[in-house]
Amino acid sequence: MMIITLQIHRFVDEKNWIQEYKVELKKGMTILEGFNEIKAKQDPTLSFTSSCRSSICGACAVRVNDNAELACEVLLESLVNRYKTNTLVVKPLGNFRVIRDLIVDWDPKYEKMKKIDPVVEPKAAFSPEKGCKQSIEDFDKYKKYAGCILCGSCVSECNKSALNEKDFLDPFIFVKAAKITADSRDRSPADHLRAVVQAGLWKCLNCQECTAKCPKDLDPAGAIEKLKAASIALASDGSVGANHAKAIYNDIYTKGLLDESKLAVQSEGIFSAALRVPTAYRLMKVGKLNMFEKIPENKEIHQIRQLIDIAEKEDK
Amino acid sequence: MSKEISRRTFIKGGVAVGAALAAGTYFKWEGKNIPLDVREGNVTYDVLIIGSGGAGMRAALEVAKQKNLRVAIMTKMVPTRSASTMAQGGMNGCTGVTDPEDTVESHAFDTVKGADYLCDQDAVEYFTEMAGKTIYEMDYMGYPYNRQKDGSFHQRKMGGSSHARAAYYADSSGHAMVHALFEQCLAHNVEFISECQLLEIVANDNKFSGVVAIDMRSGNLISIPAKSVIIATGGYGRAYWIRTTNPYSSTGDGIAAALRIGIPFKDPEMVQFHPTGLASNGVLLSESSRSEGAYLLNKNNERFMQKYAPKQMELATRDIVARAIETEINEGRGIGEGLHAAVYMDFRHIPKDILLERLGQVYDLSKRFEGVDIATQPVPIRCSCHYSMGGIEVTDFKTTATRIPGIFAAGECSCISVHGANRLGANSLSEVLVFGRTAGNGAADYVKKNASYTGSKEELQAARTKWQEKFAEATQRTSGPSVVEIRDKMAETMWYKAGVYRDEKQLQEAAVEIDKLRAQYQNCVVGDASHTYNTAFMNYIEVGNLLEVSKAIVLGAIARKESRGGHSRKDYPLRDDKNFLKHTLVFKDGDTYRTEYKDVVITKYPPQERKY
Amino acid sequence: MKYAFFPGCVLKGAAAEAYTSMKKVTEALGIELVEIPNWTCCGASHAQGVNDLAALAVNARNISIAEHMGLPIMTVCNTCTLQLRQAKARLDEDKELRDKVNDILKKAGHPYAYEGKSEITHFLWVLDAHPELLAGKIKQKLNGTKVAPFYGCHLLRPPKVMNHEDGRNPQSMEKLLRLLGAEPVEFDYKLKCCGFHAFFTAEHDVLKVTGKIVDNAANAGAKMIVTPCPLCQMQLDMYEEEGRTATLSDAELPVLHLQQLIGFALGFSKEDMGIERHVSGQYKVNF
Repeated sequence: MMIITLQIHRFVDEKNWIQEYKVELKKGMTILEGFNEIKAKQDPTLSFTSSCRSSICGACAVRVNDNAELACEVLLESLVNRYKTNTLVVKPLGNFRVIRDLIVDWDPKYEKMKKIDPVVEPKAAFSPEKGCKQSIEDFDKYKKYAGCILCGSCVSECNKSALNEKDFLDPFIFVKAAKITADSRDRSPADHLRAVVQAGLWKCLNCQECTAKCPKDLDPAGAIEKLKAASIALASDGSVGANHAKAIYNDIYTKGLLDESKLAVQSEGIFSAALRVPTAYRLMKVGKLNMFEKIPENKEIHQIRQLIDIAEKEDK
Repeated sequence: MSKEISRRTFIKGGVAVGAALAAGTYFKWEGKNIPLDVREGNVTYDVLIIGSGGAGMRAALEVAKQKNLRVAIMTKMVPTRSASTMAQGGMNGCTGVTDPEDTVESHAFDTVKGADYLCDQDAVEYFTEMAGKTIYEMDYMGYPYNRQKDGSFHQRKMGGSSHARAAYYADSSGHAMVHALFEQCLAHNVEFISECQLLEIVANDNKFSGVVAIDMRSGNLISIPAKSVIIATGGYGRAYWIRTTNPYSSTGDGIAAALRIGIPFKDPEMVQFHPTGLASNGVLLSESSRSEGAYLLNKNNERFMQKYAPKQMELATRDIVARAIETEINEGRGIGEGLHAAVYMDFRHIPKDILLERLGQVYDLSKRFEGVDIATQPVPIRCSCHYSMGGIEVTDFKTTATRIPGIFAAGECSCISVHGANRLGANSLSEVLVFGRTAGNGAADYVKKNASYTGSKEELQAARTKWQEKFAEATQRTSGPSVVEIRDKMAETMWYKAGVYRDEKQLQEAAVEIDKLRAQYQNCVVGDASHTYNTAFMNYIEVGNLLEVSKAIVLGAIARKESRGGHSRKDYPLRDDKNFLKHTLVFKDGDTYRTEYKDVVITKYPPQERKY
Repeated sequence: MKYAFFPGCVLKGAAAEAYTSMKKVTEALGIELVEIPNWTCCGASHAQGVNDLAALAVNARNISIAEHMGLPIMTVCNTCTLQLRQAKARLDEDKELRDKVNDILKKAGHPYAYEGKSEITHFLWVLDAHPELLAGKIKQKLNGTKVAPFYGCHLLRPPKVMNHEDGRNPQSMEKLLRLLGAEPVEFDYKLKCCGFHAFFTAEHDVLKVTGKIVDNAANAGAKMIVTPCPLCQMQLDMYEEEGRTATLSDAELPVLHLQQLIGFALGFSKEDMGIERHVSGQYKVNF
């Protein structure tokens, strides 16, 4: 009979403290069942949100040892095994304002979601009376993203949001955008894409925390990549991020390798890049940056270019 | 949700809060879960909707089409957490895109037969007429339907349906509906009053005034005047507590509130026990498991449905399958023992890629909670209370009006009755959409006809003050039985004495036990005196509602001396159309309950023997 | 042990010291590295955001060359590891996609098809799986120097692709550091993101986190930071000064490539390990 200790970060009426509870680990016991056990038998004041307890309503995500978990589906035993300890630290989701104990404020997230116009606006050929038509292939393109349960796990450890969430979107909003822009029924993916770029798409650090934490395996980081590629394909994305990505892509096409000395100029344009001269000088001093170095062309560059050309054609 | 604060309203608000703080009755507001107008008591809604599930959001969108009506959805959680998300199988509607032979009449007959002839057939005809249209409409709203080769949404056959007419998204059809509707709500800037627990619908002498609720975040009691209200609060499966597929939030709040103002609870005894919930925790395994071909096996590896429904086998209606499973277990052919007894559901003969494509959630749930890979092993399942056919009596299905003017009810909390004694799989999502829309139009039309507010703001204030005192009193009690104790005893009584099989003796015992619990409830301990997001208080309110709902279920079951659909009486095992082809209506008057009956509306389909 | 070596672009450029030190260290450990002929940039997660199929085909080509060499691939950059492993995972799982990509390779005149025969691993993972490679070779103990292990995102996540160990509680660096004679330091930013990939698009944030990582490691008692990713190393080393400004910190720590620290434990000199190419804290590297 294993006893585990849950150290839960409490916050009530402006008081913060960590409260320890001991729970007998029963077979198949989830984090949420642990909470229910505590609330029913030890401390009715422990507050958390939950509803479906079957990983579909998204109400119960919390952090355990600083990693988001969907409380109703994660077994306490698996966490004991992962962290090799009988003591687990429970906090509310990261990158949310906390209202009380493990309960967080979702309102600002809904407001943010409105920035991308989060709804399918069907093409003119469709109607409420006749519905829409969509091929099975087209449905497959976005069906995965329709599985998002708005649990918030993806944003909890988002490294960018932790630094500044004001000029960025929560990963689940990018997932929503990816869903809509890939939905062939929508009449103007370009509008959604422009809104997404405007809202900070290219500021993603690509840290993969969102993908690592998604309990539905939706790969939000991958959704962000898809949005980036879709935005570039529109040919209207002149942002630094797009230019930076294109510079690397073009380097592969031109030489096969990255040309670091040109990267700043290609990404930011000559005036902004010029502001980096002090850093560039520092790098040149230790030999890290050689403005005159010519990157050699890959010996098989013609095949590489062919490869890219053909792939681009296939992708249409 | 956030509005421009003019200097005047800012000062007004400041003064109001200041005065209130001085009066010691208000706490600091927390965030933006409630519109400023509601906080300041500055708004009388044209339509106030309680519940943000399928019916609630659909109703709101319908009202929102009329630009000059003020509408809001009040929810005790945040949007998208409702039980609607848990529906898996799909939404029925006759369109003919997959099965061109399907007709509206066929859907209607299947529904009537499925209901064991207890539904009101005029309402069913209306429902089935609208259901197909609803699917097209949802397609246009962005619902991610699984498709078929010609580009139309694909429809599959669900239990009790004679044709393939359930459009779906993978095995999370309800989840997809909630998010499609929520997207629309965001796009239309629908007002939400979130994290507010309904306490009372104020309607003295049949005059509707508004609702009283507690803002969970601040602990402030709020009263919201409205010209009309649509109750869309969902079902009451938690009367059986853990023996249900329902979420923790399914506590019959709206039904209890309606009972208290004289609106009867129609057919409360009609509770659906879903046959296939996971043995370990009651979580639902979608009926699409059986529509994709899964077998039910007893401990002898027999497909026992052969004995109970030789033609439809595993695809017979839920009540028939549930009773079959219970009988197998009771007669010793189940696996395991006592509360953990179960039978097997077997998917091994279905190709794995189909399992992952169409039953991904079923696959995942079985693996996670039972440790079973359904591609290679059968999974243990048993019954769970799943759906509430009974609910708030709706007197006009064309508007969803109740017998109090201005009060409407839609979705699972309502009893129109479309599902009668047993609901068909995939009829619920269609119901919430069809009647959500109907309710939206019904309430909007009512408000347009009765332009001015006829409620009483004084009565609202009085109710609010009463609840303030109740909150203080209940949360400050330190001795007495706990809410959890009462809840667990209620669930035990209900499961064993008002569960799948019922009889007079046990039902009478149940009635006495529930009354005892209701008395204890008056002195129970909440255990948390904080005003900030007091979930213990919320649970206290919910258990109070469940006790009233449970009492009604027991009374309804006692009154119905026959077996029909989901209601099985061991002492009256047959259906008795002569005496009981009628609805049970349970009324609550102060502290007294009484039972009446109401005729079932029969149009085209005279009752026949129900065989599958 | 023999591997097809995928150096990655920065080892040929700004992080050349990572390349030279890697050659010396692997030779000393008896690991033979054969550089993949005519390898290209892995896309660095950026090309993938321009045209996913093209980037996938480019990496299928890279991997197929190693397959033809009959060798597993070893990398020393987290992002290269992730891009190559992600490419492999997708191509292995989806036959239709694999056929499509092989068709592109063929049409482009590339002589080999992608077959899925080569594993892709990182130097750290090799050492973690084979600690015996270090047995008896550690000449100069690191004297219990306190070192902060900074893993870098792409070696840890996403868990399905980067599955050598649990990305939420990795231990490979700590184990290795102890084996080398250093003392690993636990610090809050151990598993966080250095921001390298968003340097141009979120500069303010990236400089802030650069400063926080160094400051946090220093406050936890570390005398240096070590990382298995040259991109993290570049970010933390090259912009350490800007990081200090952005966080009002005065922490200054040298940031070593993993192979440099191993090299010191094996007895190599600062010159051997190319420390003179570091921007920050060169003078603090003393063993």
